[in-house]
Amino acid sequence: MFIYDKKLQYPVKIANPNPRLAGIVISQYGGPDGELGASLRYLSQRYSMPFDELKGLLTDIGTEELGHLEMIGAIVHQLTRNIKDTDLMNSPFAPYFADHTTGVYPTAASGFPWNAASMAVKGDPIADLTENLAAEQKARVTYDNILRLSDDPDVNNVIKFLREREIVHFQRFGEAIQLLREKLNQKNVYYMNPAIDL
Amino acid sequence: MKNDRNTFEGRLPAQAPLANPYVPFQLENPTMYGPKEGLVRGTLFPGLDLPFMGMVNQEPQNFSPLMQLQSMAFGLQELALYLDTHREDKQALEVFQSYRQMYLEAKKAYEQENGPLTLTSVDSDRYNWLENPWPWEYTCNGRE
Repeated sequence: MFIYDKKLQYPVKIANPNPRLAGIVISQYGGPDGELGASLRYLSQRYSMPFDELKGLLTDIGTEELGHLEMIGAIVHQLTRNIKDTDLMNSPFAPYFADHTTGVYPTAASGFPWNAASMAVKGDPIADLTENLAAEQKARVTYDNILRLSDDPDVNNVIKFLREREIVHFQRFGEAIQLLREKLNQKNVYYMNPAIDL
Repeated sequence: MKNDRNTFEGRLPAQAPLANPYVPFQLENPTMYGPKEGLVRGTLFPGLDLPFMGMVNQEPQNFSPLMQLQSMAFGLQELALYLDTHREDKQALEVFQSYRQMYLEAKKAYEQENGPLTLTSVDSDRYNWLENPWPWEYTCNGRE
């Protein structure tokens, strides 16, 4: 069960609308390494995790990612408020506007709609946790790239926070692999799949 | 500040099986920022604070009541993730408990001024869930 908490994890206060930037930031809503995929990846992987530490970590990080999805939605929403037709005529945001107006839709900045093929649930704890290490790195790079492409201090303030969370999550997933390894056959951790053979 | 080893370096197995991925384990009782600095930097742990091209958020001069509540909730979340992989760290658990207490008090005070954050905090005599702005709205932070 999830209960809505009527606040963001970190404040989002974007003073100036900027549809071009909205079309870039939207990638962390529904792009291949965005927050929608992150939350679904972790909240889905947890069912096949052995051990309470791993179930807890995937639940807690997956829940935090839902909060990040909300923050990205808030950035896109605030960047597109009160925009006029003239702001859109020659804007790179125009193709998005044609399909979704200023609604927040899960798509990559490159225009590809969100796809479950961008995430994985393998059902093997070492494979899934290793996937998560890469996922956190890819999300971190996307935030690096947004910082390169944006000169809006209000947006960058939030992006820096979200980028740092990827580094913390990477650390925790790495520790989760070590916790798992300590409970497996030390000579061959690949002896069996602890999700189904324990 | 504690010694650097506790803050910036982690623990790897002395004899590590081949063909395995390793991330150094964060050492117990790690150095932590205070709640405000933690929220602004995106982590409570200086050892994990690795900004891109020196881009670091500055602490605002005034922390609004909302940001104070957010910093308590953030400390709680950050320590929960830490404790998920460090169940035996009693000192970190104490810090978690103090954040939990501060969060509960800050939430109660914030809701008395600004209305309910969760459905369980709706007033007993009227439905005030819809009266305060939604968190994604620019106005919800008192700027307009």
